Amino acid sequence: MDADTAIGGPSGQFPSTRVSLLEAAASGLSEAATNQVLALYWKPVYRFIRIKFQKCNEDAKDLTQGFFASALQRDFFARFDPAKAPFRTYLRMMVERYAANQHAAANRQKRGGEAEFEPVDDQAITTESPEAEFEREWRRQLFCLGLEDLRAHCQDTGKQLQFSIFEEYDLGERDRISYSGLAAKYDIPETTVTNHLAWARRTLRAFITERLRATTSGPKELHDEMRRLWK
Amino acid sequence: MNKIVVGLIFGVVLGALDGATAWFYPETRPVIGGILIGSSFKGMLVGILSGWFARKVHSTGWGIAVGSALGLLFAFLVAFMDAKSGKPHYLEIMLPGFVVGAIVGFLTQRMGSPAVAKSGAQ
Amino acid sequence: MEVSDSVLEHLCQVTALPDLTGTRYELEAEIGRGGMGVVYAARDRELDRRVALKVLEVPLSGEAQLISRLEHPGIVPIFESGTLADGRSFYAMKLVGGARLDQYAAGEHTLSESLRVIRRVGEALAFAHSRGVIHRDLKPQNIMIGEFGEVYVMDWGVEAVAGTAGFRAPEATLDKLSDIYSLGALLKFLLSSPAAPALAAVGQKAMNSDPRARYTSLTALLADIDRFEQGQAVEAWSEPVWHRVKRFAVRNAVLLWLLVAYTFVKFLLFFWRKS
Repeated sequence: MDADTAIGGPSGQFPSTRVSLLEAAASGLSEAATNQVLALYWKPVYRFIRIKFQKCNEDAKDLTQGFFASALQRDFFARFDPAKAPFRTYLRMMVERYAANQHAAANRQKRGGEAEFEPVDDQAITTESPEAEFEREWRRQLFCLGLEDLRAHCQDTGKQLQFSIFEEYDLGERDRISYSGLAAKYDIPETTVTNHLAWARRTLRAFITERLRATTSGPKELHDEMRRLWK
Repeated sequence: MNKIVVGLIFGVVLGALDGATAWFYPETRPVIGGILIGSSFKGMLVGILSGWFARKVHSTGWGIAVGSALGLLFAFLVAFMDAKSGKPHYLEIMLPGFVVGAIVGFLTQRMGSPAVAKSGAQ
Repeated sequence: MEVSDSVLEHLCQVTALPDLTGTRYELEAEIGRGGMGVVYAARDRELDRRVALKVLEVPLSGEAQLISRLEHPGIVPIFESGTLADGRSFYAMKLVGGARLDQYAAGEHTLSESLRVIRRVGEALAFAHSRGVIHRDLKPQNIMIGEFGEVYVMDWGVEAVAGTAGFRAPEATLDKLSDIYSLGALLKFLLSSPAAPALAAVGQKAMNSDPRARYTSLTALLADIDRFEQGQAVEAWSEPVWHRVKRFAVRNAVLLWLLVAYTFVKFLLFFWRKS
């Protein structure tokens, strides 16, 4: 992650602005852009392939890896037209096309064209459509990356207390501890708990926004995707 | 143009037209000049008074009612004077006079500029 | 780091909420989603009153500053604008009770009431145009009818994100004539069918696909609506003779009846006299 990220409090300083996807590709940083795309989209693509094409874990991984390798070689970003669709949709369509071609080729090799369904394990079973699952994983991965950025930033800037409070309250699975409970546990006023949580949440939002900016074509797509993410 | 002037003009014109319809009765043709003058004068009075009323009260219904009443009253006076000089024509004079008064009353309500309110401070 | 579905849902919610640290407001609830942001009800701690907070996803533009200085009974007053701690821009404005126009229109309303709403919207738009501000996204969802019947036009200066079908003018660059188109569409939206031919013609002229064929100003459009309400001929419609006669008769019904009565009385007396 770019170390030059000065996250402030109410004074409102934010991470240095990453460039958008097309800006990165246009200025010869396509490798950086690809890494951003990989970090965000590897899991959603993998899940999509597993469900859409009923692949087992290993085959889905191979196809995912093969897709991204193929995309790098074929000047993938240059062919993206933001006027037609957001990058997320474009990538999913390219995945679908790639995996369908690979799937068809594999079947032709095996039994002269008959479709073959391989056994799937429980992880692939879902009632959602492949497209919905892709979008769900995209959202999840954005938040995961944002959380990693937040954790790293808190470690770098000595804000472990803030992260601990945030982790206990907002990342807790079951009955959440109350603000007063947290205040007692860390021996700080309740208003400080409120302030730390507010800081952590807006910082997380800022990191997620930057991750999103690096995988969208420009301001308009960024705002559309933000609206989609936080609808 | 204020409402009194509107009433005056329409009163004279409609009164004259009403008087002119006497031409359809041949026996009145020798004195039609006098009828025209009298009817116009009657219409003028009805119009002036209706216009004055319209400046005070802004109501189409009341304007028609007052105009009708004035038209009837002055038509009665004319018919009364006419009756002294011969055969009475109360119905032929009062009924049309009543309707013409209603028309003048209506027109003074709808047309003309209303009275401008005077400011209290001098 | 992995997150479960429930944690993900929670994080989405808490990161979506505006961070009001450093402001005088306390968040209450989300009340709507507009063109480029979300509207929340909030409490102003200093003045102890409820306000509407619109949190924008884009930075405030120069036009936004202009809009905040518009003072008109039909434009929701903006109390404050600024930047939140999380970097998002916001407006604090009057919290309008009542119903949106699309909800209001679902109820029963007389033609006179509908035209009153159009007139109020048109007056607010005309005022804004005189100050160089164009609405660009006029539609029923952006108009509020307050508890006392007051009409507010909201969401100024934001170009329609997706374009609300039927209300956005067809031209690519939106200007004052596009607002006229949208007002015509609103008129059409509020009119029951079949509408009076004169009013339908007013709407059609405002919604002409050629901007040059529309009304040249909102004042001209509103003047035509006034003429319609007074029983006069409207500029947008060259009415047939029979309709002109009918309109004259309706406007002057009392006078015509009095003239009929006079004629009747005269004829009655004439024939009675003859007999």
